[in-house]
Amino acid sequence: MKDLAVASGTATRSEALIAPLWAKIIEIAPEAAGVSTYWLEFEDKAVRDRYRFAPGQFNMVYLPGYGEAAISISSHPGRPERIGHTVRFVGNVTRAISRLKRGDVLGLRGPFGVGWPLADHQGRDVVIAAGGIGLAPLRPAIYHILNHRADYGKVTIIYGARTPSDLLFRGEYDAWSEKGMEVLITVDRGDEDWTGQVGVVPILFYRLRLEAERSMLLTCGPEIMMRFVVFEGLARRIPQERIFLSMERNMKCGQGFCGHCQLGPYFICKEGPVFRFDQLAGFFNVENF
Amino acid sequence: MSKDQTLQEILMAIPWFQQLSRDHLDLLAGFSHLVEVPQGKDLFKEGEAEDYLYVVINGRISIEIFAPGRGRLSIYTAEPLDVVGWSSVTPVVRQRTASARAVLDSRLIAMDAVSLRRLCEGDCALGCIVMRRIANVVAQRLLVTRLQLLDLFANPEQHEVHA
Amino acid sequence: MPEIKLYLGSRVAIRKPEFDRLLANLAQAGYQTIGPRVKDAAVVYGPIGGLRDLPQGVTSEQTAGYYRLKPSGNERYFDLTAGPQSWKQYLFPARSELFKLAKENGNWREELLNQATPKYAFIGVRACELSAIEVQDRVFLRDDFSDPIYRQRREQVFILAVDCLHPGGTCFCVSMGSGPAAKQGFDLKLTELDEVFLLEVGTQAGLDAIQDLSVESLAIKWQEDAARCLAEAARSMGRFIPDIKSVPDLLLNNLDHAEWDEVATRCLNCTNCTQVCPTCFCWDVEDATTLDGKTTQRSRVWDSCFNPAFSGLAGGNIRPNTKARYRQWLTHKMSTWVDQFGVLGCVGCGRCITWCPANIDITEEIKAIRVGARE
Repeated sequence: MKDLAVASGTATRSEALIAPLWAKIIEIAPEAAGVSTYWLEFEDKAVRDRYRFAPGQFNMVYLPGYGEAAISISSHPGRPERIGHTVRFVGNVTRAISRLKRGDVLGLRGPFGVGWPLADHQGRDVVIAAGGIGLAPLRPAIYHILNHRADYGKVTIIYGARTPSDLLFRGEYDAWSEKGMEVLITVDRGDEDWTGQVGVVPILFYRLRLEAERSMLLTCGPEIMMRFVVFEGLARRIPQERIFLSMERNMKCGQGFCGHCQLGPYFICKEGPVFRFDQLAGFFNVENF
Repeated sequence: MSKDQTLQEILMAIPWFQQLSRDHLDLLAGFSHLVEVPQGKDLFKEGEAEDYLYVVINGRISIEIFAPGRGRLSIYTAEPLDVVGWSSVTPVVRQRTASARAVLDSRLIAMDAVSLRRLCEGDCALGCIVMRRIANVVAQRLLVTRLQLLDLFANPEQHEVHA
Repeated sequence: MPEIKLYLGSRVAIRKPEFDRLLANLAQAGYQTIGPRVKDAAVVYGPIGGLRDLPQGVTSEQTAGYYRLKPSGNERYFDLTAGPQSWKQYLFPARSELFKLAKENGNWREELLNQATPKYAFIGVRACELSAIEVQDRVFLRDDFSDPIYRQRREQVFILAVDCLHPGGTCFCVSMGSGPAAKQGFDLKLTELDEVFLLEVGTQAGLDAIQDLSVESLAIKWQEDAARCLAEAARSMGRFIPDIKSVPDLLLNNLDHAEWDEVATRCLNCTNCTQVCPTCFCWDVEDATTLDGKTTQRSRVWDSCFNPAFSGLAGGNIRPNTKARYRQWLTHKMSTWVDQFGVLGCVGCGRCITWCPANIDITEEIKAIRVGARE
């Protein structure tokens, strides 16, 4: 059945832009000013049972009358019955979504894209460098590693946001530390109660002790931040082939078809959004490419 | 164990001091001392004389600037092995441009700035090493400041409108 | 005269009036016959019923930013060259409905759309256009993905190709390896000489269409004429891109070349080139809701990488100026298209040159980038 084929994580996408499948909002969790996580459950039980996603993939979330937005999935890949989408309210569609309530229905198409290559890099030390909303598509990767902790070496999470109140998923950092991950947090500007670090994400690399031959780097955040994070990673001799970024471009079809999300030869929705840095290195620093 | 020896050991544990010769380390230790700052206390205040160059051993020091109506704004935190008060090494800036406050119980090495400057001017080899290190610190701080200035995480409306 | 047995690959000749019978056969088989006709001082595609509808004695004078129809001085029907339209508007329509939703008891329900697939017969598909259709086949029909709208139309389409014997002023199919001879992918191929049409049968459908036509065997003279004209055509291209194989790397290695700034001072971002181009495939999604909020429809419409909104993101535009957008178009068409689809996106039809109001010529642009290029 075409619906199920698209909805499962192993979609062979054979139909262009079919109508979305409907999912109910079962919970809305405010995360920070202008950011909330929408927990969605497919209305059709068969779809609910079949849906799978990989960390780093995204859904096209559809609100009839407004349009679609590409939203990364930010929840546990091992528990796909309810799917979390951490939404930043910045455009027409997302701002309309911010006015929805529990019980309202959204359309979903997906999952789309290539996710974080965790299965290929077992045994490695993992450095996760995220900024702002960029922690959302990395959280499923963190959950995956937690679920398979013995398969990975040293895990370090570096995360930064604008202010302490903008830090996402703050309640989980302790749990991640307890499970053997080093969690370093920073903010661009502190407040009176903040006793944590004030600075930027790339600088946190100076606090790390890395073994480059064993390490891989996953990063997601504003493109400028990723550029400097990659720079720090390369400076510490992590090879290009083990640095992974999640890129973002204007998306319409989500299926590598409409041409909007192209970055050089790649359709970000199809060959990305996660890329190895060596795939992008040739034109990464070309302005406005 | 004499106080100087403990100091030297502490100095040697700091990566960039490891470049220095034993003699140089002894000289530096001669005008350095340890400082303990409990959580919440100021290390120095804006406007004070630039008397010491500090290196953080433990804890966290917040660099803060006071804005009337907004209070003390923290713009950077120095972690273990970070330098605090680098401008005391250049004679251009005559007083502290920011305050430094311990947000965690902290321990630092304080080096007398006048003695350090005199030593560097007299011994150019040492001076070069120190200045290069300070230049690296300033470069890193400038990068951090620039990235903070770009306000990368702000919402689009908060950014200036570009063409 | 002994009956000529027709089979796949047959090459025969028909007198020109027989052509109308061919079109009638196609119409009877349920095809809408579409071909070139003169309208609004240009040669465009529309329904044709017979020779009377074709642009007889018409050819076009084309150069950068210039298109005029003029008398060819002869009585031929297919001398004309590429006009502003291409066959892509039939296989990849400028606007398609994708789905329609109606609100019922608070729930959205998908309404079936009345999507009867039209059955087209393309009459007069030139070699470059045939190549363009092959390029779009790679875009729309892939292993992991196939667009149902394109596929359904493509599966049913009948192609009557035409060897191009009179290339236009902006043509460079020879440089791109896409013409002037139409080599494969047709149901029937036609080569026009003064007295006769030469026909080559490509498929069973083509065979069926000419079963009851009065055909003659191919005289040696006609074969020689056709071959000579084709060779002549290959020598009469209006434009060239030498060493096409080096172009993909040339462009990607020179993303900072001064020429991008230069062309940006002339390009108007008008999107003409992407509209007339037979391979451009970018499209946008339009969601339209009725005022009462009870019905919403999603459509697919042609888009262009030259549109500012194309690369817009919350927080800014990735390609905020003409330079970035022109560079995207040219590097996609002539470079990254190969990475994506295994072939170049350009077939050398020259339309983008002819229809650019700023007279921008991509063959000149590539030449300019070679000057002072980085290896």
